[in-house]
Parts: sequence; C-alpha cells; structure tokens
Amino acid sequence: MVQKKICLLGAFAVGKTSLVMRYVNSIFGEKYHTTVGVKIDKKKLVSNGQEITLMIWDLAGQDDLTRLRTSYLRGVAGYVIVADGTRPFSLNTAINMHKEAREYTGDVPFIVAINKADLRKEQWQVEAEQIKALEDSGATIILTSAKTGDGVEETFQLLTHNILESESENKPLDDIENS
Amino acid sequence: MKQILSKVFQSMDTAVFERLDEHSYQLMTQPPPWLGQFCEKESVVDESIQLTGMFAFLDCFLEEAEEFWESKIDATHRSGSWIDFTPSGEEIPFEAVALWQDGKALLVLQDLGDEYYNEVVRLQKYRDGALTQEALEQEIENQTKEIRIREEEIAMKLLSAAGHRDHETAEHVRRIGLYAEVMAQALNWDDASTADIRIAAPMHDIGKIGIPDRVLLKPGKLTEEEFEEMKQHSAIGADMLSGTNIPLLKMASEIAMFHHEKWDGTGYPSGLSGKEIPASARITMIVDVYDALVHKRVYKEASSEDSALHVMQQMVGEYFDPDLYEVFLENLPKMREIKDTYAEPASI
Repeated sequence: MVQKKICLLGAFAVGKTSLVMRYVNSIFGEKYHTTVGVKIDKKKLVSNGQEITLMIWDLAGQDDLTRLRTSYLRGVAGYVIVADGTRPFSLNTAINMHKEAREYTGDVPFIVAINKADLRKEQWQVEAEQIKALEDSGATIILTSAKTGDGVEETFQLLTHNILESESENKPLDDIENS
Repeated sequence: MKQILSKVFQSMDTAVFERLDEHSYQLMTQPPPWLGQFCEKESVVDESIQLTGMFAFLDCFLEEAEEFWESKIDATHRSGSWIDFTPSGEEIPFEAVALWQDGKALLVLQDLGDEYYNEVVRLQKYRDGALTQEALEQEIENQTKEIRIREEEIAMKLLSAAGHRDHETAEHVRRIGLYAEVMAQALNWDDASTADIRIAAPMHDIGKIGIPDRVLLKPGKLTEEEFEEMKQHSAIGADMLSGTNIPLLKMASEIAMFHHEKWDGTGYPSGLSGKEIPASARITMIVDVYDALVHKRVYKEASSEDSALHVMQQMVGEYFDPDLYEVFLENLPKMREIKDTYAEPASI
C-alpha cells in the first residue's frame, strides 16, 4: 500500500494534536495537552480510487522555546498549516512557518486549517480580509473544528487528493505511457 | 570498561548500536526491555539488526544521521524527542543520537522516560502562561481598537458638523485621513502614530469653525484683510485642540497649526521652513492638495490625475517637502484606490 508522509505545523495550542485525534480516533478532549517533540499517527483512506496510508507527523507547536526543525519535513508529501481562529497571532505564526517550510519542501501541496471554527460566533478574531489575502496567495483554506469534526475529514481528504494529483502531474511521461 | 558502560546504558534504558552498513546495525549493549517490543529478534546482542522500518521517525532521522556520519566529525547529532507506541499501546518517549567516535558510526536510542515527562510539565506550564498572556494582550488590543473606532467616529461626526459650513464632505474628511495613514505606513511610523494621523489629519481645517460666514462662504476672491482673517483658522484650530496630553489631539493641534507652512518658509502662521515644520503637517499639506485638485468643488471642476500631478510637481520645494512628495508618488496607486473607494456622492 502507498504511504504518504504529511506534517501538521503551527503555533502552540492551535489544536494540531486535537485535529489528528479527531481524524484518526474520532475523539476530542477539551483540555490542552502540549506536544513535545513529534507524534506519528497512521490513517488509511481511499483517495482517487487508491488506498493510501497517511503517516501523520504531529510536530510540537512553535513558541519562543520551540522552533520548527525543518529536517522533520524530510520526505513530506504535503502539510497542513494550522492556525487558531480565536488567536490572530497564530495566523501570523502559521504564515511564517509556511514560508520556512516551503524553503525546505519546495512546491508540495498544503492546506491552511483555521481551527476552533465552533467558536466563530463568540470569539472569532480572524478577519475576512486576512482569509482573502491567504486565498489570493494561492492557499486553500478550510475552517475546521476538532471539537465538532467540521472540516477535519475534508482537510485530510483534500490534502491527500492534492498530493496524488500533484504527483501524477509531475510523473515522467514514460511512467504514464507504461501505466 | 566496556562492561561498566554497558551497565550504565542499561540502567538508562539505552541501546547503543554500531553502524555496519546503511541498513544493518550491531547492538553493543544489553538490549533494553523496550527493544524486544519493536524488534522481531529475541536476542539481538552480537547479531546484526535492521533498524529501518522499526520506527517511522527513526527512518527519517537515519537519513540525516548518514549525512552526519559521512562528515566524520567527532561530535553528536540529536534527533529531538518523539513518541512511539509498543504493540500493546504503551507510550514511550524516545530520542536518537548519532555519534562519530574512534572512527565508528554509533547510534544511541534512549527511552527518555521521566526526563521527557518533566519537560512536558515544564513546557505545559510555560505555554499555559503564554496563552494567558496572549489572551490578555489580545483583550487589550481589542479594547484599544474599540476606543480608536469610537474616537474616529466622534472626530468624524464633529468634523462633518464643522464641514457643513464650508461644504466639506464626509468623504473628503475620510480620504485625507486614509491618505495620511498610507504616508505614515510608508515612512515606517509606529502603529500608534499611524493610527493617530488617520484621525488627526482630517482635523486640519477644524479652526474654520471660528471664521465668520461672510469670509468663509464668500463666493469671490478674498480681500487682503479677509485673507488675514481666514488665516486665523490655523491658530483657532490649534487652540481648540490644545491643552491635552492625548497624543492624538496633540498631533491634531500640530497639524491644524502648521498645515499652511511652506517648505521654503513663506507659509503661515509662523513662517517655518523645511523640517522645522512637523512631518504630520507636511504630509497633510501634500494629501490635502492632491484631494482638492482631483475632486470637483463648488468653485471648480475636478482635475485629471495627470493634470493634478503636474500642478503638484510645480509645488515641490516651494510648498512640499521633496522627499515626502517622492513617497507620495511611490504610493500613488494606494492613494488612487482610496480616492475611488471613498468617492464624492453623485450630487456634489
């Protein structure tokens, strides 16, 4: 079976681990548990008619004490940049981490997940202009909620689909003719 | 010595491997308890073992380690911690260290145990604190924004009331502030001063409220005496806005007082020249002239942008600070966007 490595990047406490927990185990916990180092989970899915195993690398969130270790991105097929819709600062961190990741990974597919969308009515701080600016720069943005599950499946499915599409576009002509 | 070291490593739940080739390693210590849970071979001492495929994280690190060993530097290269799970679901925090020692490529795999969980507790405390601080800062920022919006709204209402007398429109007032804000941003002013000039610049003519109608609303050319009376609006406006420690009003007073000073020193009321004129007032003069030229007034038609820029170019060095005019030109697309977004109502 084909395995694809994807990474979740973002500031601390934006809900990266919660998104993975929701997607892989369909569970959610309210309490914040910080991630130290890397946790890797697996999830099987079908995309473009193909069975895929996603190796999901949940990287510790970035703060003043923890920076992105770009070598963790080695062999990555795509990544999810996670920001917290209730914390505008996390969106800036996400954009900066994306730029840093891009330098290492090159042009691999990515999705921007703006998490905690269940708090859109009460505590949402991300302005429509910020989202539009991101979309204008070519980013695909999905509003997610690890709590309710909204947008979570869609994020990983779309990223996997984009990875497969991008790989088939980059496939050498001989491979296509022989397939 | 080898035996002592082996016991030390064993007590640390550590396995030390020597690299035989890209795929094979030899265990040099007693196997720690966790190794058997990840490795198919029951006894791996003195036999070659394949580490590839054992841990997904390690596979990635081994590629990095290969590059490190190739450099043959007598040093260590750490992987950083990662969490793995035994087949029975037990969580184990690991770290790998690649070493080059005595011409040998070594790999140390350690169960970090309490060391890892102590670090988690430390970081959790730090991040909980950071989250609280971030929330407080956000709250302050939101409150400040709210106050700014109210300040701006009050200022606009007052200006619009004052502007009724000489037919200044709310759109003109809004545009002057936004043009000035663009200039301040281009000049890298700090956020507070940039926000201040957006509200302060539109107040430049507030002193006209103290000019009698017979002068302010006179359709024809003013006599010398009337012009002297009209010039008083600078001092009146500055006086109205003075006597406060609020930075916004201080800036507004400064702009009201000096926005008719000219770069060559022939302006009024003080005849200041060059950089003696506050930057806020020099900016306001440029954007006010631009806006006046490109819009229709009761006494004139709107000029095209080309024609307005031609007129303004003649004013550089006499009226305008040449450097600031350059900044204005560099930001012309933004000025144009503001002009189009906040256009005059059709009836004007």
